[in-house]
Order: sequence, then C-alpha cells, then structure tokens
Amino acid sequence: MRGKKTGLVFFPAFDWAISPTHPEREERLLYTRDQIFEEGVLDLPQIKEYAPRLATVHDVARTHFCVPRVQSQVTEAHLIAAGSALLLADAVVSGEIKNGFALVRPPGHHAMRVVHGNRGFCNINNEAILVEYLRRHHGIRRIAIVDSDVHHGDGTQDIFYHDPDVLFISFHQDGRTIYPGTGFPHELGGPGAYARTINIPLPPGLGDETFHYVVDNLILPILRDFQPEFIINSAGQDNHYTDPLGSMRFTAWGYAEFTSKLKPHLAVLEGGYAIETALPYVNLAILLALAGLDYSRVREPDWPGAVKENPDRVSRVKRMVDQLLRVWEERDNIDIEKIFGRGPFYERQKKIFYDTDYIEEEQLERVRRCPSCPGYITVDSQGVRGYSYSTRVFCVSVPFQACGACQAEAYDAYERAKGLDVYQYVYLQDKSTDTFFSFERDKKREWVSEGPKVGE
Amino acid sequence: MHIGIDVGGTFTDAVLMDKGLVKAVAKIPTSRDLLTSLLQALDAVMQGVGGEQVERVVFSTTLITNMIAEKKYDPVGLILIPGPGLDIGLFRFPGEVRVVQGAIDYRGREIIPLNMEEVDRVADDLAARGYRKVAVVGKFSCRNYLHEKKVAERIQRRFPEWKLELGHQVAGQLNFPRRVVSTYLTCATREKYRFFVQSVQEAIGQRGIRGKIFILKADGGTLPLEGSQEVPMETIFSGPAASTLGVQALLPPGETAVVVDIGGTTTDLALILSGQPLLASKGAKVDDMFTHVRALAVKSVPVGGDSVVERVGRDIILYSERLGPPYCLGGPMPTPTDALRVLGLTKLGDPERARQAMNLLGAPLGLSPEGVAERIIRQVVETVVEEIENMFSSWEQEPAYRVWEVLQKKKVRPGTVVGVGGGAPGFISQIAARLGCSPVIPPYAPVANAIGAAVARPTIQITLRADTEQGYYTVNEEGFQGQLDDPAFNEEKALNLAKRWLAWRANRYGLENSVQEVELLRKEVFNMVRDWVTVGRLIDITIQTPRGILYHVGGGRERGVEE
Ligand SMILES: [Zn+2]
Ligand SMILES: [Zn+2]
Repeated sequence: MRGKKTGLVFFPAFDWAISPTHPEREERLLYTRDQIFEEGVLDLPQIKEYAPRLATVHDVARTHFCVPRVQSQVTEAHLIAAGSALLLADAVVSGEIKNGFALVRPPGHHAMRVVHGNRGFCNINNEAILVEYLRRHHGIRRIAIVDSDVHHGDGTQDIFYHDPDVLFISFHQDGRTIYPGTGFPHELGGPGAYARTINIPLPPGLGDETFHYVVDNLILPILRDFQPEFIINSAGQDNHYTDPLGSMRFTAWGYAEFTSKLKPHLAVLEGGYAIETALPYVNLAILLALAGLDYSRVREPDWPGAVKENPDRVSRVKRMVDQLLRVWEERDNIDIEKIFGRGPFYERQKKIFYDTDYIEEEQLERVRRCPSCPGYITVDSQGVRGYSYSTRVFCVSVPFQACGACQAEAYDAYERAKGLDVYQYVYLQDKSTDTFFSFERDKKREWVSEGPKVGE
Repeated sequence: MHIGIDVGGTFTDAVLMDKGLVKAVAKIPTSRDLLTSLLQALDAVMQGVGGEQVERVVFSTTLITNMIAEKKYDPVGLILIPGPGLDIGLFRFPGEVRVVQGAIDYRGREIIPLNMEEVDRVADDLAARGYRKVAVVGKFSCRNYLHEKKVAERIQRRFPEWKLELGHQVAGQLNFPRRVVSTYLTCATREKYRFFVQSVQEAIGQRGIRGKIFILKADGGTLPLEGSQEVPMETIFSGPAASTLGVQALLPPGETAVVVDIGGTTTDLALILSGQPLLASKGAKVDDMFTHVRALAVKSVPVGGDSVVERVGRDIILYSERLGPPYCLGGPMPTPTDALRVLGLTKLGDPERARQAMNLLGAPLGLSPEGVAERIIRQVVETVVEEIENMFSSWEQEPAYRVWEVLQKKKVRPGTVVGVGGGAPGFISQIAARLGCSPVIPPYAPVANAIGAAVARPTIQITLRADTEQGYYTVNEEGFQGQLDDPAFNEEKALNLAKRWLAWRANRYGLENSVQEVELLRKEVFNMVRDWVTVGRLIDITIQTPRGILYHVGGGRERGVEE
C-alpha cells in the first residue's frame, strides 16, 4: 500500500566539505536550495519534507568493514546522509509516502565493502547501507539499484557482486575515459550472482536519446523480469551536459523522464558538480517527476536544444544493449563453471586506489560457492598510505541469507585469522544475526556490536 | 503610562499599565465598527487619566483579517513573470492572472528578457476588464528587481492612476508563490488600511495623547502606526500573538510553557520556549493560501466551552460547531461548559439546567450527570493534549540544513501549562496533569491579550545579501539593490553595512532608540569556487532589534490552581 506523497530529505550540509575548494564542498547544493525554495515546491500537498536523522554506527557496520573502525571513517555528516535515506525508506515501507528523494551530501557510491579511506568523494555507501537496513528491519529481500551517475558505481557493485537478490545496474561514461576506470559489460557478478550486475559504459558525448534507448530497451525490461520489491536510484547528475567532470550530454528533462519511467521507491543523490548550471534544474525536475508533477517546463537557461549524437557511437551502444539483454535472458542457462571454474571458493584479486586519501589497497576476496546460500565472503586487505604506513586486515562477511554451514565456517575463519599475527584487525560481520565483531591484534581486544533488536 | 488594546472577534480588551503594574482593565463587546470598539476600550481605561500621561498605545486589529475573510476589497490583477520551472497552475492564485515573458535566476542574472509589447497588451487587457489595482511579481525578484520595476514603470506611464504593488517590496524571502499571494493581499488591502490608520490617528489626537501609537504584528513585534501602512498584511493574526506575549509577561523569564487559550468554539495553543514565543518556521496561511507573513506558531483546535456535545448510540461525541450558548446559560444543546458546571469547576450559568443537559446525554446510557460530565471533560482534555504533543513533535521535526543543527536537536517538553481565556479554569489542571506539568492561571488571565499588546516591543529587521563576484547587494526589506565597490568586502563589512541599514530603517520609522542592541538572526557565507579558485563570496545576513517584551508584570506565578 503506497501513500500519495513524495518524501524529501534535503540535507545540503552547508557546514561540511572535504576541503575548501573541493567539488564536494558547502556550496554544492546552495543554488539547488534557492531554486527549490523559490519555486515553492515544498508547499505543494504532493511533497512532504522530513528532518534528517542519523544512521547508527551499527547500520554502517552491517555493510562496511571500516578500518580500523567505523568512527574513524565517518563524520556526522556521513551518518546524516545515510540516515536520511533510511528514514525515507521507513516512510515508504510504512506507506506514509509513495516514494522519496534523499537530496543529501556527502555521496557514497564509490565506497566499497572495505573502507580504508575516502575514494571518489565517498566514505560510506548510502545505498548499500539502505539495502542491508531494508532487509534487516523490513524483511525486504529483492532489491534493485540503478546507478545514473556519470561515474561507474564501483562501490555498490563491489558490495553486491555476489548477492543474487540485489540487481545492480549502472550506466556511465566509458571507464576508459573517466574515473574510476571500471564498469565494463563483462563485469557481470560472481558465480552465485551471475548477471545480477549489469554495466553499460557509454561513449562520451551522447545525450538524452541514447540514454532513453538504454532505459527503454535494457533497463526497464530487466527490471520487469527481476521483479524487485524495492527500487533505489543512485541519482548522480554528472551526466548533465554542463558537468565539469563528465563528458555526457544529458539534460534535466532527460533525468526527470528517466525517473518517471524507473519509478524508484527512493532516489539518493550521488555526484553532480555543475552546481549552478545543472543541479538546481536536475534536482527540481527529479523531485517533480517523483511526485508525478509536470516537469516539462523545467529547463536550463542555456539549453542547447537536441544534441547531435555521433551515429557510430550510438550504434555501438545499441549493439551493447542487444548483447547485454541476451546475457540477461540466458543468465540461468549459462555454464557457470565454464566462466568461473570449479572448486569450493571463487577468488578475486583487486587493486583499489583511494584518490582522495592516496591509499593503495590490495585485496584477495574469496567467496564460498555454496549450493544452499550465496556463501560467506572473506577479504584479506592491505591498505598502504605513502610508503611507510600500511594496515592489513581480514574481513569475514556472512550474508543475510546464509545457511548454517556457511555461518559456522565463517566463524571458524574469523577465529583462525585472530590467531594469525599478520592482521592488525580482524572483523566478522554476521548479517544473518545482525552481529558484528572486530578484533584488534595489538590490544588483544574484541568488540561486539549487536545493535537494537528488530522492532525497537 | 502604557496602554494595550486587543480587538478580538467577540471582545475588545484593554489595560492601562504603569511601570509593570496593571492600573485599569476593560472588556467591551466588539462592534461592527472596529474604530468604535477601539475608542470605547481606550476611553474605558483612560478614565481619570490625562492624555499627556500616556506615553505609548499599542493595539491589535482584526481589520485586515475581516476584510480578507469577507473578501471586501477591490479586485486585483496579477502580472506574473515566472519564467521556466514549475507549472504555476499547481498553485491556487487569487484574482486574474496574466503571465509575461522574462526570467531571472537564483543569483539575480537575467536569463530571459521582457517583451514590452506583451506587457502593454496585458495591461490593456486588465484595463479593459476594469482593474485599477495590479500586483507585479517575478520569480527570484528578491535577487534582482529589474523586471518588476521595468514592468511597473511601463504600466504606470500609461495608467498613472493605477495602484501597483511589486513583489520584491512585499516579500524579500525565497518562495515565489507565497510572494505572489502576499503581494496580491497587500495590494488588495492597503488603501482601506490607510484610511483606517488616519481615522485612528485623528481619534487618538482628539484625546490629547501625544505618545507613540503602535500596532501589533502577527510575530509579536510592533510597528509605529504610521509605518505599518507599508505592510498591512503583518497586522493579521495579532490576537494569538497578544495572548502569548501577555503570558510571557506574566511568567518568570526563561520558562518553557504551553499557552492554552480556551474560547467559546476554539482553543488556541502557542509555545513559549525558554522564555521566547516560538515563531512559525514558515509564513502564515491566510484565507487558505500560504503567505510570507511571519507569525507565531499558533495552533487552533476546534473545541471550546460552547462546542456542541451529542450522544450517538452509546458514544458521547464532541463536535466543533457552536449552536448557541451553553445549555446552563439558556442555550439549546449540552456543552463542555455544562459539564464544568456540574463538576463545580465553573460558576457560570444555572446548575440545575447544567444537570439537565448531562441527563439528556447520560440517562439513556444509565450514566449519572457527574459521570457524563467527566467523560466530556476527558474528551476535551485529550483533544487538546494530543494537539500540544503534535506541536512539540512538529517543532522537533523541522528540517535542518547543517550538521550542527541536526546534532543539537533535542527533545524539549514544557514545565508549565498556562491557561488564559474564559474556559481556562476548568480544564487547565487536567491538561497540565496529563502532560506532567504544573498548571498556572496567571493573574489578569482574562486580559492577558491586552497586557501582551501593552508590553510588546517594536521590531525591525534587515536582510542583506551580497554577491561579491557580481559586485552588488540587496536589502530585502527596503527593496534596495546597490553596487559593491569595495574589492575587500567581507563578512565583517557586510555585518556593519547591515547595521547601518537597520539604523536607517529604524530612523525612518521613528524608532531610533530601539537599535542600541542588535541580534544576529541568520548568517550564511559561501565561498564561490570555480575551477578550484575562489572567485567571490555570497554573504547573507539577517539582523533585528531584540524581540520580546518591555517588562514582566508583577511576580509572575502567583495564583497556581493547585497548591
Ligand atoms: Zn559521479
Ligand atoms: Zn551456505
């Protein structure tokens, strides 16, 4: 049962910045505020504004392994941004609102499962925290995340790569031409979640027409098949034609039209750094689209008219859409062993660079290939800051849907790692019981976070 | 000596105060002619006092409220310059709306120019339909008034007799639809208000009063009568402001209290947080339309001493209507007042008729008159308590846009429930008990509103916004736009400039004595960074003279209903 209103949390964090001249700074949502206030949107009966709230450290620990601990990676601004998404989700689930827009900063979609620092302006992943929260507190299992930021949502992809119940779709500017350099069509998810990750890299310069070709011919058909109980939009706005970081040519209208087709339960702001020429208009248009109001009159002052798209690039995208659609349709008939090999574990080696904090991380991720559940995950991670300072940690994650055998094995793995001297910190995240442990080698101490019980 | 007069819907109350002591009070029925009521009340408290002894008269008026409610004003045409954005059809605007081309953006830059031929056509059209009053309002006109001014100049040249009202002069805050409504209502009411002000000035002059005359505003501040002609809309809803300030004056400083004003058909609730009346975060709703009028956060609950009570099946139901006086006072239907009478909580009316009223309701249910009476009181109390809880929680739920604002939010609950108004004595103890507070019915509770008017302070405010990259600044309240020549203009200079404007404005209103103290209400400073280089600053500062009351009355909490 859905309410009639669209919920909004507007949290511009006017007193928070990564650094004074960084794109992620106080001024970012200032003109968006001016536009939204001046239009009088918040007086409309279709829209309900909520005061933000803080996520708990426990909510963060349910999703991330923060090194050394949650408190050292997040500021209050991060907890407010994540908490605002949770608050709106609560209101959607309770039927108070039909959908919501967390118009908040700082963003989060580049934050991965293990967090050594800030990368791509993100510390913690607002959408991923929301997914785990929805499962724990509202029993929602099948969730789709559609990422419309110009940058690949590599953090979200990393967190749900082995989760068959989370469909992650990201379209973005081709990784060969932009940060973070990933998000290619062959990145399709792990052996237990094949084709639950879909990436559509777009050649630079394409506009609304191709954008909507992808939406109509790939994203919407996949969503119709997947039948998610909850749809989240990682609503980055840096595909806009004026964005200083991206090279795409989308408009505010294109974004709004996409929103009204996708019908997300929750849109969460991600990137978008054309703070004057794009954000005021794109944010307004998205909000109107969510509320089912007319957005056709929202137009950028320097709107150039329809973009002339390069036909070669357009046909490249169309071919890719066809291929990906076939992959999706064949996902259950595919020979998984041919792609991923055999054996009790599937392993990935990863090198991750934290551009904001200059940290280089090396990871060995292993997932248990279990016939009765998505399998537990271990991550052996070493973060190197400069040449001298490095932290090596071992992380064990028990998925929400874990079987008893995996849970037991995971606890064993945690205990074993605690006895190994190489790890400064060892973590166990048991999503099936909502209990999180962390062990600090030098102090020989263990912390447990059990969080509030369901229903509290 | 100070005089306070609150012209209410039913009664006009007045007090004469001397150095914090109440010297005389008066309560007279409000007649159709507001001026008559005002002067009757004035004369009643001035008996034996010479006009030359009166230093200050503050009064409230329902003139504008009545005028709007009864739609007794000339038709107003609206010329809007909304530009791209929201479909203005989403808002219900009063009057005849005409849209012209043009647009200004959030930093005051012109993005679509005006088309003067179109302006002429629209003006001709309105003229042909007989309009002589026209409001011109543009989106973002508070950031740049260029378009509004150009349109007005063009029209005024061709129709010199027209009364024009410009949006940026009425409302300098963001929110275009509210600016439209506020400008419309100002345009509609200004002429009649001016006439009223002149009549009051004459009448008071005839009584030999040389002191200053002020009018109470919805936000609890006052303005000199003369100056209030600029902002007639701010005089609406001053009744609840008057009672709230009265309670503030009657309580010890610094208390957190709920003010419960129980009348015949409605109960008005207001909050005093740490000694200051709570202002609504957004402008008031007038005639079911949102405006920019600053008002105290007042909640009107449709229940009072005269509300009709009926039995439906096995239930006893409290309605929001009034069908006459209570049964014990000869009315047709049982009411909460009859319940109070039966329980001995009021001395109003005939006790036998009150019992009859309770029996009408209770006999078929086998309930004693006392049993019915208790049930009715409980319902009234529950309704009011629920609304008080809602007020506090919606205050806590106010959006916050900064990290520190989110972190400092805490749960605040009142310590005191203060009853004013006729119905207060019977209900206040029970409302307070339900909220875990102490009940207070202050001395002079029946004329708390007039006391509030007497002690209200003049307030003036200045909002200055500077854009150093574009080199200009605006002063919202004055509708002023000027150049910034100083290349080193900064926060400190902006504050000083704002203070100079505040002093200038105070002077203009004849309030030069009230700017010794200045409160900083809001400050926003944003560095504008383009390509990693700071290219300018946006500085937004609001300052005001201190809000509040001139003095407290007596010792405050003297007559609690419970020991
Ligand atoms: Zn981005
Ligand atoms: Zn398993």
